[in-house]
Amino acid sequence: MIAARATRAAAATCLAAAVAAALYPPPASAHALVGKQDLPIPPWLFAWGAALVLVVSFVALTLAWRRARFEDENRRPAPGWVSRPVVNRATELLAGGIGVLLLGVVVWSGLSGTEAPDRNFSLTFVFVTFWLGLVAVSVLFGDVFRAFNPWRAIARGFAGLFRLVARQDPPRPLPYPQRLGRWPAVGGLLAFLWLELIYGDSGQVTAGLTPRTLAIAVLIYTAFTFVAMALYGIDTWIERGETFSVYFGMFATMAPVEVRDGRLGVRRVLSAATRWAVLPGSAALVLVAIGGTTYDGAQEGVLGGVISGVFGRLLDAGVNPTFALRATNTVFMALTLAFVAAIFWLGVRGMRSVGGTDMSLNRLGRAFVHGFIPIALAYLVAHYFSLAVFQEQAQFTYLLTDPLGDGSNIFGIAKDPIDYGLIGANAVWYVQVAALVIGHVTALVLAHDKAIAIYDDPRIAARSQYWMLGLMVGFTSLGLFLLSQANQ
Amino acid sequence: MQSNAGKLAIVGVAIAAATILFIVLSGDDSDNSSSAPVGSVERDTETGESPDRGEGIEQADEATEEASSEIPVIVVKGGQPAGGVQELSFTAGQQIAFEVDSDVAEEVHVHGYDVIAEVEPGKPAMFSFQADIEGVFEVELEGSALQIAELTVNPE
Repeated sequence: MIAARATRAAAATCLAAAVAAALYPPPASAHALVGKQDLPIPPWLFAWGAALVLVVSFVALTLAWRRARFEDENRRPAPGWVSRPVVNRATELLAGGIGVLLLGVVVWSGLSGTEAPDRNFSLTFVFVTFWLGLVAVSVLFGDVFRAFNPWRAIARGFAGLFRLVARQDPPRPLPYPQRLGRWPAVGGLLAFLWLELIYGDSGQVTAGLTPRTLAIAVLIYTAFTFVAMALYGIDTWIERGETFSVYFGMFATMAPVEVRDGRLGVRRVLSAATRWAVLPGSAALVLVAIGGTTYDGAQEGVLGGVISGVFGRLLDAGVNPTFALRATNTVFMALTLAFVAAIFWLGVRGMRSVGGTDMSLNRLGRAFVHGFIPIALAYLVAHYFSLAVFQEQAQFTYLLTDPLGDGSNIFGIAKDPIDYGLIGANAVWYVQVAALVIGHVTALVLAHDKAIAIYDDPRIAARSQYWMLGLMVGFTSLGLFLLSQANQ
Repeated sequence: MQSNAGKLAIVGVAIAAATILFIVLSGDDSDNSSSAPVGSVERDTETGESPDRGEGIEQADEATEEASSEIPVIVVKGGQPAGGVQELSFTAGQQIAFEVDSDVAEEVHVHGYDVIAEVEPGKPAMFSFQADIEGVFEVELEGSALQIAELTVNPE
């Protein structure tokens, strides 16, 4: 099986490379960003993880509580002497300034730095420090990105300048179409994932995503965001349309910390998630987040052989290799997303079949989808934890002191290479399995709590949760399975 | 429905079961892996032409039990790895040793370990270094950015 797959992969690769060599001068330095990939989790750990998921689920069923605990956020504002030093005009300006500066460095290093992806500040910063790092920060400390959001900072700066110069308020924004909800952010998330996983796939036939292309993409997104903010208002767009605000904001609902009305406060952990999915498009956002990571895991393992098989066949048919690679990957990413969405909606349909509520399928799905935010987080940790540990070493050493990759040493810090021995395979495996199991438990807790809040009859609530339990066991097992098949 | 003591008991039993299971399962594996052959090249026989080299690999496969006296050879023909991307597999703590034989002048780069060696027609590149990082790594022709082998280092 493995040999056959390897054969196909090898044949496709050879063929692709041969065709590519004939058609294109190969890129001079198409390094992958990652120098090391994770080993698949061994069969015994897979078995143990799966068994643990079942044990945990069984325990959760028997311990079921009868009163919803996370619906009430139990918010307590922090005392002024705690809140004021953190949230004030100066820190707001400082955070916004840092955000704008980093946006500037990304564009600058992307446009004028080296084309070697692993030596340029921009790629590691955008895809690891920003994209993964802010998820971790959001889960722990709440919606920190709001303060650092460079687009928000610049737009607010402009609005302030306008008031100063024109001595009147900026024109009132257009009413935001309510049915659009968070769908613009879903579109943005899909575009980002496509850029990262498909356009950025540096196979044998393409250089992948160069820092220059990334910088241009950032500039296009920036222009798009300003237009949308000008049309619909800064805060409305931040809340619904701005991809990164919405995405990080989704994970921030798990945090026990928030800033509201300019004041720091604490709230019951996870409680904000129960109210998050009220806008249209919220379910799609969670499912795309899960599906994107699923695809990335699958294309390196389970789907790897099939993808290179289809790719090889397209090459045989005389299709342009770069186009063939991207088309194949796009189709498989779409299939993966459809698969994830289909499992979810199947589970919701099953839950609806037990009765006890007159909610539409759509509303019922949205009522429970927040339970899958922890699973999306678990998938991210399982898949990208080691990448972040290794790439962040580069981020804070040579990429910081030499952002363009031209040999400079701005901060005079040692430019040590990445220490890949920092964490061993066993440590990575345990973190991966722990993330999935903890994500599973958290998801069960949220779903059970919501069921109590929604259903009047506790017996129907319990029966509805067999479906949710099935769904979550399914997603967690899928996560374990992807890990067991990784990079083979 | 249940008393707090009952709930605690269930959680306790579950934790105990999980722990025992973990010990039993992880213990099993270390026995298996120590008996598994190491330092072998999994070579694909269907497309693995270049008969002269093919035999060498077969021998290497058979010789793995006596701690690889034959080191694996990756043959590059016309800038392509013969028989596709080769799989090299070692166990942490071992000495990684392999040879790259190319008919074009190139630079061979082992990612992660960041070991680089020049190869020329008739002058194979010899690699020998300690397997101290676990994971899956690319072995690449630096000039053409082409992967020729996948180096896997499993934990002990």
